[in-house]
Amino acid sequence: MTDPMTDETAPVTEGAMMRATPVRHLAPWLVGLAVMVPLPWVAFNDYQRYLLDLILINVILAVGLNIVKGFAGQVTVGHVALMAIGAYTSAVLTTKFGAPFWFALPGAMLMTAVAGAIVGIPSFRLEGAYLALATLGLAESVRIFISATDYLGASVGYSDIPPPSLFGMPLNSFRSYYFVVMPLAVAGVYFSFCMLRSNIGRAFKALREDPLAAAASGINVRKYKSLAFIVSALYAGCAGSLAAHMSPGFLHPNSYTLVEMVTVLLMVVLGGIGHVWGGIIGAIIVTIIYDLTREYYQYQLLIFGLVIVLTVMFMPTGIGGIIDRYLVNRGFAAIRKARKDAA
Amino acid sequence: MSYFIDLVIVGLSIGMVYALVALGISLIYSGLDVVHFAHGEIYMLGAFIGLWIFKTFHLPFPLVLLGSMILTGLVGMFIERVFYRRILRGGGGYTVGGMAMVICGFGMSIVLQNVAFLIWGPRAVPFPVSYGMPVELGNITLPAAYVWIVAAALLLMAALHLFLKHTRLGLAVRAVAGNKEIAYLMGINVPMTISVIFGVACALGAAAGVLVGPINYVYVLMGLGILIKAFAAAVIGGFGSLPGAVLGGLLVGVIESLGAGYLSGSYKDIYAFILLIFVLMVRPAGLFGVLAKVKA
Repeated sequence: MTDPMTDETAPVTEGAMMRATPVRHLAPWLVGLAVMVPLPWVAFNDYQRYLLDLILINVILAVGLNIVKGFAGQVTVGHVALMAIGAYTSAVLTTKFGAPFWFALPGAMLMTAVAGAIVGIPSFRLEGAYLALATLGLAESVRIFISATDYLGASVGYSDIPPPSLFGMPLNSFRSYYFVVMPLAVAGVYFSFCMLRSNIGRAFKALREDPLAAAASGINVRKYKSLAFIVSALYAGCAGSLAAHMSPGFLHPNSYTLVEMVTVLLMVVLGGIGHVWGGIIGAIIVTIIYDLTREYYQYQLLIFGLVIVLTVMFMPTGIGGIIDRYLVNRGFAAIRKARKDAA
Repeated sequence: MSYFIDLVIVGLSIGMVYALVALGISLIYSGLDVVHFAHGEIYMLGAFIGLWIFKTFHLPFPLVLLGSMILTGLVGMFIERVFYRRILRGGGGYTVGGMAMVICGFGMSIVLQNVAFLIWGPRAVPFPVSYGMPVELGNITLPAAYVWIVAAALLLMAALHLFLKHTRLGLAVRAVAGNKEIAYLMGINVPMTISVIFGVACALGAAAGVLVGPINYVYVLMGLGILIKAFAAAVIGGFGSLPGAVLGGLLVGVIESLGAGYLSGSYKDIYAFILLIFVLMVRPAGLFGVLAKVKA
């Protein structure tokens, strides 16, 4: 059920994308969208539809994390807290203030973007491990704050979050919710591609390789660092809000612990840091495996941890890197063959 | 006033535990230029190994402490040799190896947590050591556990100081912390010394775990909270500075204890983080930033 996503658009190389006219530029995305529409009917049962929704939410989250971590090179470990902020903002807006989902979602994203800007402030002065520490501290503070605040349900959890409704019709089944999540996920992936192939994306990459050299070539380091954090926070807020309103509409602070952070990290690391498709591939693989192995809870996390350690040790570029290498090698092979034929 | 003094004393003795873990983290940082994110789990492992020794061999508490330190130190050296050495070949700090180490540390912490979970189960276990009668100092009565913690921690810190400043291996450790290439040229076995650094750091973490066991329960998830507090301690004192780590640990312990006593107990764990974030934003070199330049 995941093949259409990767197959429809993967052959479009960066060069072809940049030269393409608007129609050709959008065509693969529209085809991808068309392929994804009937998926809930292809799925056999409600569980698979639930998994489909979950995968798409995680895709949004992983793509967002990849922007700040993979492309701008900022090591942040607090992404789950941003998701929590998005989820709880959305929940409070709908239940306490009676706002409809369609206002709560942008509200949550806005709130998370503000939080992301705050998380980004330490990145002006801190790098690498220090930044990881600061974001870890912020993330844990958010979780402890939620689990100690009665207004947010404390450690009991926050329940009865209403599903979104369209023209008075509640979208509470996994199938109808899919049509809320799917367009947002596709739009999110599309947006990240557009951004990363623009001058903003190139600025991010320059920032990742060498902040000093980037500053010397006229890139406003602070501006682009904050931008990376804010954009990725928008993604996290969107994912959080979507996760909150999916049935059964229940939130618990324990869904935002370090373990969840490691899971999100695994998606990006396994898929390939700094590789857009990597985040998506990782999100799909990890979500499916996570759900299939739910019964073997303790072994599952053991294996997740080991996979992270081994991926970092033996496959630092992840699956995305392997695909990249394959494509590059194929390119070289084609050139070699052309030369041979000419000779 | 006596309430205040009580809080400070409790804070100081817990601070000693944070200081021991922070010392390990700082030692690894000064030696290898990487942050070890799995150190909280080493602390948890140390507590469980101590408990196991205590229950199996019925040894007196100081021997339990020593045995747990040695075994956990060996575990640390094993982890370093098998997993970290390959990653660290690319160098630490802000290089690719350093970044990979952050991610790998998280993975390792989850692995260790679940290994402990599989061996010892999810329940919080009491560490049934009786320290003896409370100690009376003037008009203040101190539980003996706190006296034990402070005494043992001070002893370990003195031992670390002697090891680093007055032995040949300690000199090698300081040389590796200063500059690895030159240490190689001087004929020091650098990989072995790095293993020793890891072993000593893990032994300190294990000591903290065993010391805190009898006043808290021993459970699988005990590592995460202390990891961030020890980081806060190490950063506040200036990362990589050993005296700074001790002072930072004491500061974190006292502030947490005062915050819990006067503000609100349920947000107890946040105070250390707020301090950490504040120090990182205002003065990343730590409060004792001058000391941070003197490595190990």
